Amino acid sequence: MYVGQALRRREDVRFLAGDGKFVDDIAVPAGAALAFLRSPHAHARIRGIDTRRARAIPGVLIIVTAADWAAAGLGKLVCVHPMPFGDGRPMNEALRPAIASGKVRHVGDVVAAVVAENRYIALDAADAIAVDYEPLPAVADTAAALAADAPLLHEELGTNLVNDNRRGDAEAARAAFAQAAHVTELTLVSNRVAGSPLEPRSYVAEYMKDGDSVTLWATTQVPHMLRRWICKYALKIPETKLRVIAPDVGGGFGQKVNFTVEVATVVWLARALRRTVKWTATRSESLLSDTQARDHVTQARMAFDKDGKILAMEVDTIACLGAYLSNFAPSIPGNSYPQTITGLYLTPALDFRVRCVYTNTVPIDAYRGSGRPEATFVNERLLENGAREMGIDPVEIRRRNLIPAARFPYRALGGRTYDSGDPPALLEKLVALADYAALRREQARLRARGVLMGIGIAAFLDKSGTGPSAQLATKGGLHGGYESATIRVHSDGKVTVYSGSHSHGQGHDITFAQIAADRLGLPVEDIAIIEGDTSQVPYGNGTWGSRSASVGGTAIYRASERIVEKARRIAAHALECEAAAVSYDDGYFSAPASNRRLSFADVADLAYHGAQIPVGDGVEPGLECTIFYDPPDLNDPEAMHLAVVIVDPRTGQFALKAYYTVDDCGTVINPMIVEGQVHGGLAQGIGQAMMEHVVYDRESGQLLSGTFMDYAMPRAADMPPLASAYHCTPAPSNPLGVKGGSETGAIGPPAAIGNAVVDALWHLGVRHVELPITPYSVWRALAAARKAAA
Amino acid sequence: MMVRISLTVNGRPVTAEVEPRWPLVEFLRDHLRLTGTHVGCDTSQCGACTVHVDGVAMRSCTLFAVQADGAQVTTIEGVARDGKLHPLQAAFQEHHALQCGFCTPGMIMSALDMIRREPALSEAIIRHNLEGNICRCTGYYNIVKAIAAAEKATRALAENPSA
Amino acid sequence: MYPFAYHRPKSLAEASELLAADEDTKLLAGGMSLVPVMRHRLARPAALIDLADIAELAAIGSKDGKLWIGAMATHFAVSRSALVQAQIPALAKLAGGIGDPLVRNRGTIGGSLAHNDPAACYPSAVLGLAATIHTSVRAIPADDFIVDSFETALAPGEIITGVSFPRPEAAAYVKFANLSSRFSIVGVFLARSGGEIRVSITGAGRHAFRASALEAALGANFTPEAARAVTVSATDLLADIHASAEYRAHLIPELTARAVVQCLTPDPA
Repeated sequence: MYVGQALRRREDVRFLAGDGKFVDDIAVPAGAALAFLRSPHAHARIRGIDTRRARAIPGVLIIVTAADWAAAGLGKLVCVHPMPFGDGRPMNEALRPAIASGKVRHVGDVVAAVVAENRYIALDAADAIAVDYEPLPAVADTAAALAADAPLLHEELGTNLVNDNRRGDAEAARAAFAQAAHVTELTLVSNRVAGSPLEPRSYVAEYMKDGDSVTLWATTQVPHMLRRWICKYALKIPETKLRVIAPDVGGGFGQKVNFTVEVATVVWLARALRRTVKWTATRSESLLSDTQARDHVTQARMAFDKDGKILAMEVDTIACLGAYLSNFAPSIPGNSYPQTITGLYLTPALDFRVRCVYTNTVPIDAYRGSGRPEATFVNERLLENGAREMGIDPVEIRRRNLIPAARFPYRALGGRTYDSGDPPALLEKLVALADYAALRREQARLRARGVLMGIGIAAFLDKSGTGPSAQLATKGGLHGGYESATIRVHSDGKVTVYSGSHSHGQGHDITFAQIAADRLGLPVEDIAIIEGDTSQVPYGNGTWGSRSASVGGTAIYRASERIVEKARRIAAHALECEAAAVSYDDGYFSAPASNRRLSFADVADLAYHGAQIPVGDGVEPGLECTIFYDPPDLNDPEAMHLAVVIVDPRTGQFALKAYYTVDDCGTVINPMIVEGQVHGGLAQGIGQAMMEHVVYDRESGQLLSGTFMDYAMPRAADMPPLASAYHCTPAPSNPLGVKGGSETGAIGPPAAIGNAVVDALWHLGVRHVELPITPYSVWRALAAARKAAA
Repeated sequence: MMVRISLTVNGRPVTAEVEPRWPLVEFLRDHLRLTGTHVGCDTSQCGACTVHVDGVAMRSCTLFAVQADGAQVTTIEGVARDGKLHPLQAAFQEHHALQCGFCTPGMIMSALDMIRREPALSEAIIRHNLEGNICRCTGYYNIVKAIAAAEKATRALAENPSA
Repeated sequence: MYPFAYHRPKSLAEASELLAADEDTKLLAGGMSLVPVMRHRLARPAALIDLADIAELAAIGSKDGKLWIGAMATHFAVSRSALVQAQIPALAKLAGGIGDPLVRNRGTIGGSLAHNDPAACYPSAVLGLAATIHTSVRAIPADDFIVDSFETALAPGEIITGVSFPRPEAAAYVKFANLSSRFSIVGVFLARSGGEIRVSITGAGRHAFRASALEAALGANFTPEAARAVTVSATDLLADIHASAEYRAHLIPELTARAVVQCLTPDPA
């Protein structure tokens, strides 16, 4: 049984030897280089673009602006997850232009594209393009986007509001608040971050003379969707004219899901020039053009009875989506966020409102956690502040409020019915893992010596396994949630599995091989996995939202079952008995009461030889199966984190002394892979909690965190000592029982660390610390508390 | 204007005409087609481009190819011997110290350098010495484990390379 | 990157000649500051003069009773030098904390001082230790060397050959780093020699500067409390997305106090 084992990855050898094949590694003989000219202004009218000097530079092949895009009759970069207003009105939609027309709306907005013989010439030519801008006032502050005098990004919309949605029951919530023994209130900001996978985005549009088509090598998490979007919506060409290959991709985290501004242009110009065209982002370019994440401003309240039981929650969020709508963006604050806002607690009443807004900033879209870190920060900061305000231990208050296992499936007022879980058991596991009682004793001991230790918890829900296609369509979604798998048995009995998912570090190769090997009854070495090529793999919806194991894995599981079923019928015919009587064990089909048996390889041989197939019974030669699996439901992983900090009130510096995690992601196929995902998620969660911050100047909209010199990310020495444990309540909606395991690490830390720092400083009057919780942020909180006390 | 350089790369002599402005990483990747060395940032911080020049780890994005004239350069492609993984590479696989693989060559080159420079490693020393290498996938825990696990065999191999 | 000519002279004299031949020429030491600036197309020298082959520039030794660190000595070499560790351990520790190991393998004291980044460590060290910057032409006291952000007293054509440091009685460097660049938000270099106290601050202003109020307070009373009692004005201090001027003003006396504690504590080694 392979599932459950920590098998090592097979692809590692090529990465370790330097033989990885990332898009920028691809040799492009006679290739041309593309450079983008980007706006230095956050908001400006384009009065004119003069390309004469640039065009005169030897080696320049073509320069295009928005006018050329329009003249070519090209289309749009659609938003595939629209979200209407709560009353059904369509959202105020402003899509990302491939090239800005008339106006630029964020620093980095593309104004022109240059293709030249090499990158040096392309950059020189871009520099030589003269753009006449008329700068306009900008709004880069999310809280100010809806002010009466806020500059309008899209005048035709008449507003910076994208949409307005409510969930729950405002009346019921109001009544509950009126009766509350205690109300906790907070203003919470989820800081904007930039996912920054280490491999910058890169596209090579390889022009294929034969067929006048393009093979696009792309840093993408969704090769098929990307192909469809480019062909159908942007360039309006037959899909047979574009092949998309995602080779090795160096991290994605959501930044490479998108129908990006650059990719359609690269393909367009390769076709126009009949030349291979390549573009690779520089890091500063990535920080201006990769989508960014989070950026919520929230007023929230929680009502409690005298025992600390939650009576109601009230949330009013303004969620920034940036200057234009990127693919998934509206569904993150619009759907994922409210669906997890009440977290793991019995919450009888909810008044939830989210308004999405445009500001003169880079567009927002999916990033590890998408909506759940924002939700968890609100839910958990309110709960723990409430606990401290009421003098109830933060673990005890959770015991009183967590949804018991017997209540699952649990319909939360945010709109999602949680599938399975045992939050109280998870809490006890966390308490035991961290030895919570001992931590509190140590805290008291240290406090007596003047050392400020803090303990903070985050208990939360994740959402994964998108998802039933019909559900995605209810708000107007433009893509499905199924996943594809082809299992091709070769005539020698070895197997290749083609999956519509795409691994960019998550170890699909071994994970999927383990699933297939178990279902097919074969050694894992006999199974190869292929992803990432639209010419080889049937249409899949790609990898994001922790869906690959539950949806992609189940597709493979189901396809494997069909293969075995067909193989059994072929074997039965050869063994001259009924299929139902044939048993399949240890890779052998055997007939009852007989010592005759056939190996899987023997059956494959028969299948492809073709003569001994019971065609009369409707069995065809060959041994191959393709499944498009549409899951019946998403799934709900749960996790709990505990952070221990020691704060130096003199400087605001604090150390993460220890960190504990308990995860319930259902069945674990490969514990080594899952643990690696928790680790990696944690680094990004700790990043958001303690140092990552995309900062725009409020007045000018200039990006102040434009390189890694100003955008901080954790290094090895920033990671805390860690202990982790796992719990399993299988997902009811798939035969593997598997839930997503790769995002919880990124969800918990802002809440856990926020709670820990506040716990350490509560006695000094601190009630909240702004994200990211840097020493400066802590110092400001202490200074404000001192001022308030004075 | 082109300048002629002669250097050794992974034990092999290389002669080429380069423009002074070409970074070493560009020369390695585009001209020698040694694409295992990667570019992850533009402020000389991420370490994905780490190579060894005359036995010392450096960022190849912050060196010009002309500066490597006369030098011995080792890239990730030169670490495995006769198709056999170096103990450090084997430890990375064993301990799941890589996910997307993009930072990995730089991590290996930095790890080799830290073992050379430091008389003995500890968890704290390893973490401190990885400050110049960013990873967005692994959270570093398994990288630290792999380096600690491979320290002894790495030192032994460095002392006796023919082993 | 814009095109440039490349030279690698074998002697200081040859380097001086090349530098004098063209105004638009820059010296290349470790490249840790210059190359990134060129990659961002913010600097376009017509030629680079690489000092790597001038061996004598990397020497670390004693000269006239002072510690001599050659301009091309790397941060790694300085941090691991037995001589520096014995004579001015705070300087070795400072060098060992610059950037990261890859930076320390290449970055040089000469390059750092010539560049004079407002948040770099070495400028506060030379100021704090009353060092002398020696060039191909003259010797410049540190107090006169540091002029403004990225600006020094170096004249065109002048090449730093090394820095001489008098040995202090006690010294310490406390660096409060910015987590993105790993440069100082505030760095304090404290040194005591005879009755003289020097407190030099980096990361907080247009360039490294001496904090005279702290020097006076510690001259009267060399205790951490005396440092903490000093209020530093936020006016003229840097403000950026990482720290306000007020926060820097708060950190300066606090970090100075810690430097005092380090000076008073016997070396664990």
